[in-house]
Amino acid sequence: MNDEQLSTHLQELRRGTVVLACLLVLRQANYGYALLDLLEQRGFAVDANTLYPLLRRLEKQGLLTSDWNTDEARPRKFYRTSAEGEQLAETLGRDWDALDAAFRALKGRP
Amino acid sequence: MTTLTDRYVDAALRRLPGRQRADIEKELRTAIADAVDDRVEAGAEPATAEIEVLTGLGDPARLAAGYADRPLHLIGPALYHDYARLLTVLLATVVPAAAAGVGLVRALHGADPLALAGDVLSAAFTTAVHIVCWTTVAFAAIDRLPRLRRGPARPWSVEALPVPPSRRARYAELATLTVITVLFSTFVLLTPVVSTQSDPSGKPIGLFAPRLWDTGLVYAFLAVVLAGLGFAFARHYARWSVPLAVAGSLVDVAASLALIWLVTTDRLLNPAFVSAAGWGPEVPRWIGIGLVAMSVVTLLHTVAEAVGQARRATPS
Repeated sequence: MNDEQLSTHLQELRRGTVVLACLLVLRQANYGYALLDLLEQRGFAVDANTLYPLLRRLEKQGLLTSDWNTDEARPRKFYRTSAEGEQLAETLGRDWDALDAAFRALKGRP
Repeated sequence: MTTLTDRYVDAALRRLPGRQRADIEKELRTAIADAVDDRVEAGAEPATAEIEVLTGLGDPARLAAGYADRPLHLIGPALYHDYARLLTVLLATVVPAAAAGVGLVRALHGADPLALAGDVLSAAFTTAVHIVCWTTVAFAAIDRLPRLRRGPARPWSVEALPVPPSRRARYAELATLTVITVLFSTFVLLTPVVSTQSDPSGKPIGLFAPRLWDTGLVYAFLAVVLAGLGFAFARHYARWSVPLAVAGSLVDVAASLALIWLVTTDRLLNPAFVSAAGWGPEVPRWIGIGLVAMSVVTLLHTVAEAVGQARRATPS
Protein backbone atom coordinates (compact mmCIF):
# COMPACT_ATOMS: atom_id res chain seq x y z
CA MET A 1 0.00 0.00 0.00
CA ASN A 2 1.43 3.40 -0.90
CA ASP A 3 1.60 6.39 1.42
CA GLU A 4 -1.28 8.21 -0.21
CA GLN A 5 -3.66 5.28 0.23
CA LEU A 6 -2.50 4.84 3.81
CA SER A 7 -3.13 8.47 4.66
CA THR A 8 -6.58 8.32 3.00
CA HIS A 9 -7.53 5.29 5.10
CA LEU A 10 -6.28 6.91 8.29
CA GLN A 11 -8.14 10.11 7.47
CA GLU A 12 -11.38 8.21 6.83
CA LEU A 13 -11.03 6.30 10.08
CA ARG A 14 -10.42 9.48 12.11
CA ARG A 15 -12.93 11.73 10.43
CA GLY A 16 -15.74 11.39 12.94
CA THR A 17 -13.52 11.19 15.99
CA VAL A 18 -12.52 14.88 15.76
CA VAL A 19 -16.16 15.87 16.19
CA LEU A 20 -16.49 13.78 19.32
CA ALA A 21 -13.18 15.06 20.70
CA CYS A 22 -14.26 18.69 20.10
CA LEU A 23 -17.62 18.19 21.80
CA LEU A 24 -15.92 16.65 24.83
CA VAL A 25 -13.07 19.17 25.11
CA LEU A 26 -15.36 22.17 24.58
CA ARG A 27 -17.38 21.45 27.70
CA GLN A 28 -14.92 24.08 28.84
CA ALA A 29 -15.15 27.13 26.54
CA ASN A 30 -12.13 27.64 24.33
CA TYR A 31 -11.03 29.33 21.11
CA GLY A 32 -9.77 27.87 17.86
CA TYR A 33 -6.01 28.11 18.16
CA ALA A 34 -5.86 26.98 21.79
CA LEU A 35 -8.18 24.10 20.96
CA LEU A 36 -5.79 22.98 18.22
CA ASP A 37 -3.00 22.80 20.79
CA LEU A 38 -5.14 21.15 23.41
CA LEU A 39 -6.40 18.44 21.05
CA GLU A 40 -2.86 17.74 19.93
CA GLN A 41 -1.71 17.35 23.54
CA ARG A 42 -4.59 14.97 24.20
CA GLY A 43 -3.62 12.79 21.25
CA PHE A 44 -5.97 14.08 18.56
CA ALA A 45 -3.80 15.46 15.80
CA VAL A 46 -5.98 17.65 13.60
CA ASP A 47 -5.10 20.18 10.92
CA ALA A 48 -5.99 23.83 11.48
CA ASN A 49 -7.67 23.99 8.09
CA THR A 50 -9.95 21.13 9.14
CA LEU A 51 -10.67 22.30 12.66
CA TYR A 52 -11.64 25.95 11.99
CA PRO A 53 -14.32 25.18 9.42
CA LEU A 54 -15.53 22.24 11.54
CA LEU A 55 -16.11 24.50 14.56
CA ARG A 56 -18.33 26.75 12.44
CA ARG A 57 -20.30 23.82 11.07
CA LEU A 58 -20.92 22.43 14.53
CA GLU A 59 -21.99 25.89 15.67
CA LYS A 60 -24.38 26.20 12.76
CA GLN A 61 -25.91 22.84 13.69
CA GLY A 62 -26.47 24.10 17.23
CA LEU A 63 -24.00 21.66 18.79
CA LEU A 64 -21.70 24.47 19.90
CA THR A 65 -22.47 27.98 21.11
CA SER A 66 -20.06 30.84 20.63
CA ASP A 67 -19.17 34.19 22.18
CA TRP A 68 -16.72 36.85 21.15
CA ASN A 69 -14.39 37.66 24.03
CA THR A 70 -13.15 41.22 23.60
CA ASP A 71 -11.52 41.64 27.02
CA GLU A 72 -8.06 41.04 25.63
CA ALA A 73 -6.22 43.00 22.97
CA ARG A 74 -7.03 40.32 20.42
CA PRO A 75 -10.76 39.49 20.15
CA ARG A 76 -11.30 35.75 20.27
CA LYS A 77 -14.29 33.61 19.44
CA PHE A 78 -14.92 31.16 22.27
CA TYR A 79 -16.87 28.00 21.56
CA ARG A 80 -18.69 25.87 24.11
CA THR A 81 -20.61 22.60 23.79
CA SER A 82 -24.38 23.19 23.91
CA ALA A 83 -26.91 20.92 25.60
CA GLU A 84 -27.64 19.39 22.23
CA GLY A 85 -23.92 18.90 21.64
CA GLU A 86 -23.62 17.23 25.01
CA GLN A 87 -26.33 14.78 24.01
CA LEU A 88 -24.62 14.01 20.72
CA ALA A 89 -21.29 13.52 22.53
CA GLU A 90 -22.92 10.97 24.79
CA THR A 91 -24.44 9.08 21.85
CA LEU A 92 -21.22 9.14 19.84
CA GLY A 93 -19.19 8.14 22.89
CA ARG A 94 -21.39 5.13 23.49
CA ASP A 95 -21.07 4.15 19.85
CA TRP A 96 -17.32 4.47 20.04
CA ASP A 97 -17.21 2.21 23.11
CA ALA A 98 -19.36 -0.37 21.36
CA LEU A 99 -17.11 -0.29 18.29
CA ASP A 100 -14.05 -0.60 20.46
CA ALA A 101 -15.49 -3.63 22.22
CA ALA A 102 -16.44 -5.16 18.88
CA PHE A 103 -12.93 -4.66 17.52
CA ARG A 104 -11.40 -6.20 20.60
CA ALA A 105 -13.62 -9.23 20.19
CA LEU A 106 -12.65 -9.51 16.51
CA LYS A 107 -8.97 -9.24 17.20
CA GLY A 108 -9.15 -11.67 20.09
CA ARG A 109 -10.34 -14.44 17.78
CA PRO A 110 -7.70 -16.76 16.32
CA MET B 1 1.95 47.37 2.83
CA THR B 2 -0.01 44.17 2.48
CA THR B 3 1.46 41.32 4.47
CA LEU B 4 1.43 37.67 3.49
CA THR B 5 -1.34 37.18 6.03
CA ASP B 6 -3.47 39.85 4.33
CA ARG B 7 -3.00 38.16 1.01
CA TYR B 8 -3.80 34.76 2.49
CA VAL B 9 -6.97 35.96 4.22
CA ASP B 10 -8.09 37.76 1.05
CA ALA B 11 -7.52 34.66 -1.04
CA ALA B 12 -9.56 32.52 1.35
CA LEU B 13 -12.43 35.00 1.85
CA ARG B 14 -12.85 35.88 -1.80
CA ARG B 15 -14.46 32.48 -2.30
CA LEU B 16 -16.97 32.81 0.55
CA PRO B 17 -20.47 34.32 0.60
CA GLY B 18 -20.40 37.94 1.79
CA ARG B 19 -22.40 37.64 4.99
CA GLN B 20 -19.99 35.07 6.52
CA ARG B 21 -16.88 37.02 5.63
CA ALA B 22 -16.44 39.53 8.45
CA ASP B 23 -16.80 36.95 11.21
CA ILE B 24 -14.53 34.39 9.58
CA GLU B 25 -11.94 37.05 8.83
CA LYS B 26 -11.72 38.15 12.46
CA GLU B 27 -11.41 34.58 13.67
CA LEU B 28 -8.90 33.57 11.01
CA ARG B 29 -6.68 36.60 11.62
CA THR B 30 -6.65 35.95 15.38
CA ALA B 31 -5.80 32.30 14.85
CA ILE B 32 -2.93 33.16 12.50
CA ALA B 33 -1.63 35.88 14.85
CA ASP B 34 -1.78 33.47 17.83
CA ALA B 35 0.13 30.81 15.95
CA VAL B 36 2.77 33.31 14.77
CA ASP B 37 3.22 34.70 18.31
CA ASP B 38 3.73 31.20 19.64
CA ARG B 39 6.53 30.56 17.19
CA VAL B 40 8.17 33.95 17.82
CA GLU B 41 8.11 33.29 21.56
CA ALA B 42 9.84 29.99 20.86
CA GLY B 43 12.62 31.97 19.15
CA ALA B 44 11.65 32.08 15.47
CA GLU B 45 12.03 35.10 13.18
CA PRO B 46 8.62 36.82 12.76
CA ALA B 47 8.81 36.61 8.95
CA THR B 48 9.74 32.92 8.99
CA ALA B 49 7.07 32.20 11.57
CA GLU B 50 4.40 33.80 9.38
CA ILE B 51 5.46 31.75 6.37
CA GLU B 52 5.45 28.55 8.44
CA VAL B 53 1.99 29.20 9.86
CA LEU B 54 0.44 30.02 6.48
CA THR B 55 2.11 27.00 4.89
CA GLY B 56 0.65 24.90 7.69
CA LEU B 57 -2.85 26.22 6.95
CA GLY B 58 -2.43 25.10 3.35
CA ASP B 59 -4.09 26.20 0.13
CA PRO B 60 -6.61 28.98 0.92
CA ALA B 61 -8.92 27.48 -1.70
CA ARG B 62 -9.16 24.28 0.36
CA LEU B 63 -9.77 26.24 3.54
CA ALA B 64 -12.54 28.21 1.81
CA ALA B 65 -14.06 24.94 0.57
CA GLY B 66 -14.23 23.80 4.20
CA TYR B 67 -16.07 26.96 5.24
CA ALA B 68 -18.50 26.97 2.34
CA ASP B 69 -21.54 24.85 3.03
CA ARG B 70 -22.76 24.78 -0.52
CA PRO B 71 -21.90 22.19 -3.13
CA LEU B 72 -18.57 22.76 -4.83
CA HIS B 73 -19.56 20.77 -7.87
CA LEU B 74 -21.69 21.68 -10.85
CA ILE B 75 -23.44 18.34 -11.23
CA GLY B 76 -23.33 15.97 -8.29
CA PRO B 77 -22.91 12.19 -8.23
CA ALA B 78 -26.69 11.63 -8.09
CA LEU B 79 -27.20 13.13 -11.54
CA TYR B 80 -23.82 12.75 -13.16
CA HIS B 81 -24.58 9.40 -14.73
CA ASP B 82 -27.80 10.59 -16.38
CA TYR B 83 -26.07 13.78 -17.49
CA ALA B 84 -23.15 11.99 -19.12
CA ARG B 85 -25.48 9.52 -20.82
CA LEU B 86 -27.83 12.14 -22.25
CA LEU B 87 -24.93 14.28 -23.40
CA THR B 88 -23.32 11.31 -25.17
CA VAL B 89 -26.58 10.35 -26.87
CA LEU B 90 -27.23 13.93 -28.01
CA LEU B 91 -23.71 14.51 -29.26
CA ALA B 92 -23.57 11.16 -31.02
CA THR B 93 -26.87 11.65 -32.84
CA VAL B 94 -27.69 15.33 -33.28
CA VAL B 95 -24.21 16.56 -34.27
CA PRO B 96 -23.72 14.12 -37.17
CA ALA B 97 -27.35 14.63 -38.24
CA ALA B 98 -26.99 18.43 -38.31
CA ALA B 99 -23.67 18.19 -40.12
CA ALA B 100 -25.07 15.74 -42.67
CA GLY B 101 -28.18 17.89 -43.19
CA VAL B 102 -26.19 21.04 -43.82
CA GLY B 103 -23.75 19.14 -46.04
CA LEU B 104 -26.57 17.66 -48.11
CA VAL B 105 -28.33 20.98 -48.70
CA ARG B 106 -25.06 22.74 -49.55
CA ALA B 107 -24.15 19.94 -51.97
CA LEU B 108 -27.57 20.21 -53.64
CA HIS B 109 -26.88 23.91 -54.12
CA GLY B 110 -23.58 23.01 -55.73
CA ALA B 111 -21.26 24.61 -53.21
CA ASP B 112 -17.57 24.02 -53.84
CA PRO B 113 -15.99 21.31 -51.64
CA LEU B 114 -13.94 23.69 -49.51
CA ALA B 115 -16.92 25.90 -48.60
CA LEU B 116 -19.01 22.77 -48.04
CA ALA B 117 -16.46 21.28 -45.64
CA GLY B 118 -16.24 24.62 -43.81
CA ASP B 119 -20.04 24.86 -43.46
CA VAL B 120 -20.31 21.26 -42.26
CA LEU B 121 -17.59 21.71 -39.64
CA SER B 122 -19.01 24.99 -38.42
CA ALA B 123 -22.53 23.52 -38.19
CA ALA B 124 -21.22 20.51 -36.24
CA PHE B 125 -19.24 22.74 -33.90
CA THR B 126 -22.12 25.16 -33.23
CA THR B 127 -24.53 22.28 -32.62
CA ALA B 128 -22.12 20.57 -30.23
CA VAL B 129 -21.52 23.78 -28.25
CA HIS B 130 -25.24 24.40 -27.90
CA ILE B 131 -25.96 20.83 -26.81
CA VAL B 132 -23.19 20.80 -24.19
CA CYS B 133 -24.11 24.25 -22.88
CA TRP B 134 -27.86 23.74 -22.49
CA THR B 135 -27.66 20.18 -21.19
CA THR B 136 -25.16 21.31 -18.56
CA VAL B 137 -27.28 24.31 -17.59
CA ALA B 138 -30.38 22.13 -17.23
CA PHE B 139 -28.66 19.51 -15.07
CA ALA B 140 -26.89 22.12 -12.93
CA ALA B 141 -30.30 23.68 -12.27
CA ILE B 142 -31.79 20.32 -11.29
CA ASP B 143 -28.81 19.75 -9.00
CA ARG B 144 -29.18 23.13 -7.29
CA LEU B 145 -32.94 23.26 -6.87
CA PRO B 146 -33.79 20.37 -4.57
CA ARG B 147 -37.48 20.85 -5.28
CA LEU B 148 -36.89 19.86 -8.89
CA ARG B 149 -35.49 16.53 -7.79
CA ARG B 150 -37.25 13.50 -6.42
CA GLY B 151 -36.09 14.25 -2.90
CA PRO B 152 -35.50 11.70 -0.17
CA ALA B 153 -38.61 13.08 1.51
CA ARG B 154 -39.90 9.61 2.19
CA PRO B 155 -37.55 6.87 3.41
CA TRP B 156 -36.75 4.34 0.76
CA SER B 157 -38.67 1.09 0.80
CA VAL B 158 -38.86 -1.88 -1.56
CA GLU B 159 -42.08 -0.40 -2.95
CA ALA B 160 -39.94 2.32 -4.52
CA LEU B 161 -38.28 -0.27 -6.77
CA PRO B 162 -39.13 0.55 -10.36
CA VAL B 163 -41.92 -1.38 -12.02
CA PRO B 164 -41.86 -1.88 -15.77
CA PRO B 165 -41.45 0.26 -17.78
CA SER B 166 -38.20 0.63 -15.90
CA ARG B 167 -36.56 3.94 -15.20
CA ARG B 168 -33.91 2.98 -17.70
CA ALA B 169 -36.47 2.42 -20.43
CA ARG B 170 -38.23 5.69 -19.61
CA TYR B 171 -34.86 7.37 -19.68
CA ALA B 172 -34.22 6.03 -23.18
CA GLU B 173 -37.64 7.39 -24.14
CA LEU B 174 -36.72 10.77 -22.70
CA ALA B 175 -33.41 10.81 -24.56
CA THR B 176 -35.17 9.92 -27.83
CA LEU B 177 -37.74 12.65 -27.26
CA THR B 178 -34.95 15.16 -26.67
CA VAL B 179 -33.14 14.16 -29.85
CA ILE B 180 -36.34 14.36 -31.89
CA THR B 181 -37.30 17.74 -30.43
CA VAL B 182 -33.87 19.23 -31.07
CA LEU B 183 -33.75 17.87 -34.62
CA PHE B 184 -37.30 19.01 -35.34
CA SER B 185 -36.73 22.55 -34.00
CA THR B 186 -33.46 22.85 -35.91
CA PHE B 187 -35.16 21.65 -39.08
CA VAL B 188 -38.06 24.11 -38.73
CA LEU B 189 -35.75 27.05 -37.99
CA LEU B 190 -33.48 26.19 -40.91
CA THR B 191 -36.25 25.84 -43.55
CA PRO B 192 -36.27 29.52 -44.62
CA VAL B 193 -32.52 29.60 -45.27
CA VAL B 194 -31.78 26.10 -46.51
CA SER B 195 -34.18 24.62 -49.02
CA THR B 196 -34.18 22.29 -52.00
CA GLN B 197 -35.97 24.99 -54.04
CA SER B 198 -34.80 28.48 -54.85
CA ASP B 199 -36.36 31.36 -56.79
CA PRO B 200 -34.87 32.78 -60.03
CA SER B 201 -32.62 35.15 -58.08
CA GLY B 202 -31.17 32.15 -56.21
CA LYS B 203 -32.80 32.91 -52.87
CA PRO B 204 -34.07 29.78 -51.12
CA ILE B 205 -37.85 29.22 -50.89
CA GLY B 206 -38.89 28.04 -47.47
CA LEU B 207 -41.02 24.94 -47.05
CA PHE B 208 -43.32 26.64 -44.56
CA ALA B 209 -45.47 29.73 -45.06
CA PRO B 210 -43.43 32.96 -44.58
CA ARG B 211 -46.40 34.40 -42.67
CA LEU B 212 -45.53 32.04 -39.79
CA TRP B 213 -42.24 33.90 -39.44
CA ASP B 214 -43.71 37.37 -39.99
CA THR B 215 -46.28 36.84 -37.24
CA GLY B 216 -43.83 35.08 -34.91
CA LEU B 217 -46.21 32.10 -34.77
CA VAL B 218 -43.40 29.67 -35.54
CA TYR B 219 -41.47 30.83 -32.46
CA ALA B 220 -44.54 30.51 -30.29
CA PHE B 221 -45.07 26.99 -31.62
CA LEU B 222 -41.45 25.98 -31.01
CA ALA B 223 -41.62 27.49 -27.52
CA VAL B 224 -44.59 25.24 -26.78
CA VAL B 225 -42.73 22.22 -28.19
CA LEU B 226 -39.67 23.02 -26.04
CA ALA B 227 -41.88 23.55 -23.00
CA GLY B 228 -43.28 20.07 -23.65
CA LEU B 229 -39.73 18.72 -23.53
CA GLY B 230 -39.11 20.63 -20.30
CA PHE B 231 -42.17 18.99 -18.75
CA ALA B 232 -40.98 15.58 -19.91
CA PHE B 233 -37.78 16.22 -17.94
CA ALA B 234 -39.73 17.49 -14.97
CA ARG B 235 -41.86 14.31 -15.04
CA HIS B 236 -38.70 12.23 -15.05
CA TYR B 237 -36.86 14.04 -12.25
CA ALA B 238 -39.57 15.50 -10.06
CA ARG B 239 -42.17 13.71 -8.05
CA TRP B 240 -45.60 13.45 -9.60
CA SER B 241 -47.94 16.23 -8.60
CA VAL B 242 -51.30 17.39 -9.90
CA PRO B 243 -50.17 20.88 -11.05
CA LEU B 244 -47.14 19.42 -12.82
CA ALA B 245 -49.18 16.74 -14.58
CA VAL B 246 -51.91 19.19 -15.63
CA ALA B 247 -49.42 21.77 -16.92
CA GLY B 248 -47.41 19.14 -18.80
CA SER B 249 -50.51 17.67 -20.45
CA LEU B 250 -51.86 21.12 -21.37
CA VAL B 251 -48.60 21.99 -23.12
CA ASP B 252 -48.66 18.74 -25.10
CA VAL B 253 -52.30 19.26 -26.01
CA ALA B 254 -51.62 22.88 -27.03
CA ALA B 255 -48.84 21.81 -29.43
CA SER B 256 -51.07 19.19 -31.08
CA LEU B 257 -54.07 21.53 -31.37
CA ALA B 258 -51.91 24.31 -32.79
CA LEU B 259 -50.58 21.96 -35.46
CA ILE B 260 -54.09 20.77 -36.38
CA TRP B 261 -55.28 24.38 -36.62
CA LEU B 262 -52.35 25.38 -38.87
CA VAL B 263 -52.92 22.41 -41.17
CA THR B 264 -56.70 22.66 -41.46
CA THR B 265 -56.68 26.41 -42.12
CA ASP B 266 -53.96 25.96 -44.76
CA ARG B 267 -51.48 28.20 -43.02
CA LEU B 268 -48.61 25.72 -42.78
CA LEU B 269 -47.04 25.15 -46.21
CA ASN B 270 -45.57 27.83 -48.43
CA PRO B 271 -47.58 27.89 -51.71
CA ALA B 272 -44.48 29.18 -53.50
CA PHE B 273 -42.55 26.09 -52.40
CA VAL B 274 -45.34 23.75 -53.46
CA SER B 275 -45.45 25.23 -56.97
CA ALA B 276 -41.64 25.45 -57.26
CA ALA B 277 -41.37 21.78 -56.34
CA GLY B 278 -43.99 20.96 -58.94
CA TRP B 279 -46.26 19.22 -56.45
CA GLY B 280 -49.86 18.56 -57.42
CA PRO B 281 -52.70 19.58 -55.11
CA GLU B 282 -52.83 16.07 -53.63
CA VAL B 283 -49.34 16.25 -52.08
CA PRO B 284 -50.13 19.06 -49.59
CA ARG B 285 -53.43 17.33 -48.84
CA TRP B 286 -51.71 14.08 -47.89
CA ILE B 287 -49.10 15.95 -45.84
CA GLY B 288 -51.98 17.66 -44.04
CA ILE B 289 -53.80 14.38 -43.40
CA GLY B 290 -50.58 12.82 -42.09
CA LEU B 291 -49.91 15.71 -39.72
CA VAL B 292 -53.48 15.78 -38.39
CA ALA B 293 -53.39 12.02 -37.82
CA MET B 294 -50.07 12.38 -35.97
CA SER B 295 -51.48 15.18 -33.82
CA VAL B 296 -54.57 13.15 -32.94
CA VAL B 297 -52.42 10.17 -31.94
CA THR B 298 -50.28 12.49 -29.80
CA LEU B 299 -53.41 13.91 -28.16
CA LEU B 300 -54.74 10.45 -27.30
CA HIS B 301 -51.32 9.35 -26.03
CA THR B 302 -51.07 12.45 -23.82
CA VAL B 303 -54.45 11.77 -22.24
CA ALA B 304 -53.75 8.05 -21.76
CA GLU B 305 -50.36 8.75 -20.21
CA ALA B 306 -51.76 11.38 -17.84
CA VAL B 307 -54.40 8.92 -16.64
CA GLY B 308 -51.78 6.17 -16.23
CA GLN B 309 -49.45 8.39 -14.24
CA ALA B 310 -52.21 9.60 -12.00
CA ARG B 311 -53.19 6.00 -11.29
CA ARG B 312 -49.60 5.03 -10.44
CA ALA B 313 -49.09 8.08 -8.24
CA THR B 314 -52.25 7.72 -6.16
CA PRO B 315 -51.92 5.13 -3.44
CA SER B 316 -54.39 2.32 -4.04
